Amino acid sequence: MGTFHDNKSALHGITVVVDTKGPKVYVGRCDDEDQEKVILVDADIHEDGVNGKTKADYVKRAAKFGVWKKYDHLVIPRAEVTSITRLGDVHETAVKAEAAKPAPIAPVVEAPAPKALAATGENFIVTLTPGAQTEVKRLIVEQGDKPGVGLRLGVKGGGCSGFSYKLEFDVKKDGDVVVPYELFNVYLDRKSTVYLRGISLDFQKGLSGKGFVFSNPNATNTCGCGESFSV
Amino acid sequence: MPYPEALVAPMRAELTSAGIKELRTAADVDAFMADKNGTAMVIVNSVCGCAAGGARPGVKLSLQHEKKPARVATVFAGQDTEAVAKARGYFADIPPSSPCVALFKDGELVHFTPRHMIEGRDPKSIAAELVKAFDENC
Repeated sequence: MGTFHDNKSALHGITVVVDTKGPKVYVGRCDDEDQEKVILVDADIHEDGVNGKTKADYVKRAAKFGVWKKYDHLVIPRAEVTSITRLGDVHETAVKAEAAKPAPIAPVVEAPAPKALAATGENFIVTLTPGAQTEVKRLIVEQGDKPGVGLRLGVKGGGCSGFSYKLEFDVKKDGDVVVPYELFNVYLDRKSTVYLRGISLDFQKGLSGKGFVFSNPNATNTCGCGESFSV
Repeated sequence: MPYPEALVAPMRAELTSAGIKELRTAADVDAFMADKNGTAMVIVNSVCGCAAGGARPGVKLSLQHEKKPARVATVFAGQDTEAVAKARGYFADIPPSSPCVALFKDGELVHFTPRHMIEGRDPKSIAAELVKAFDENC
């Protein structure tokens, strides 16, 4: 008995994760299944380790919003299949596991609302929006809030457009330009200031937020992912 | 290929009769989304009985909750293709599926229920997830 069509299996119309004995995992809408095969429509395949993602990483991400269809129709031999799970159930399990996690032990810092801009003069090299400042401070605290640790911004060669941004937590090094903010310092090596002068760093939250986002007036071209640029 | 309108009409009516505005063109969608103030919900309706059969009553049930989006609209997948493509442009980072439900607050997407969280579930479960999102955002 199908969910809507009597001549189909119980999983007809349901988006499922089909795991296999091998490196492949499939996600798609089950059209039908029997002892011989599983038929998926609007499906995607992931191979363990491709793009640095394990099968579990891939399924976890798929469970949040679904998958981009790459195949209209796939037939998977039943002999290869080790499990078939509803993608919706994977999502629910993940949500329940998240809710069951104990509260974080790290102290919560009740930081005052950060100022929108850094101080004047050379400090105008970079601007962090209040949202970016709050997120940076949150991450510094999460990592133990060690004395002198601030945000290091820099550039390195590479990325789709020639240069890519470096963003890490670090202490001051000799020759660094220091941009003091209310809750932490921003450190830049002298070379990077050439490319980063006037740059703005924002943090975008929400479902479609991209996390930290750079806006660089020196860039003549940026790539689609926003993580690299050319000058 | 679109289904015959006579088949689809009752599925449209199931939502519009509950006061949900139907957006039939891309211009309708843009006009609806132009208002960035407050909360707005867009339901991508579909003919799929396995999922939309539960989604429509689930959405209607959720809208009986005290806290709910200020504005609610629907587009119909597979029928009003231009309107659906335009609506999906407002949550373009998310793989397309139908039915699905998107909730916006001040123009920003704050909750999304994809098809796989709807299919095979009863209307009460679907409504419960939406109500949770309403309580958090509306």
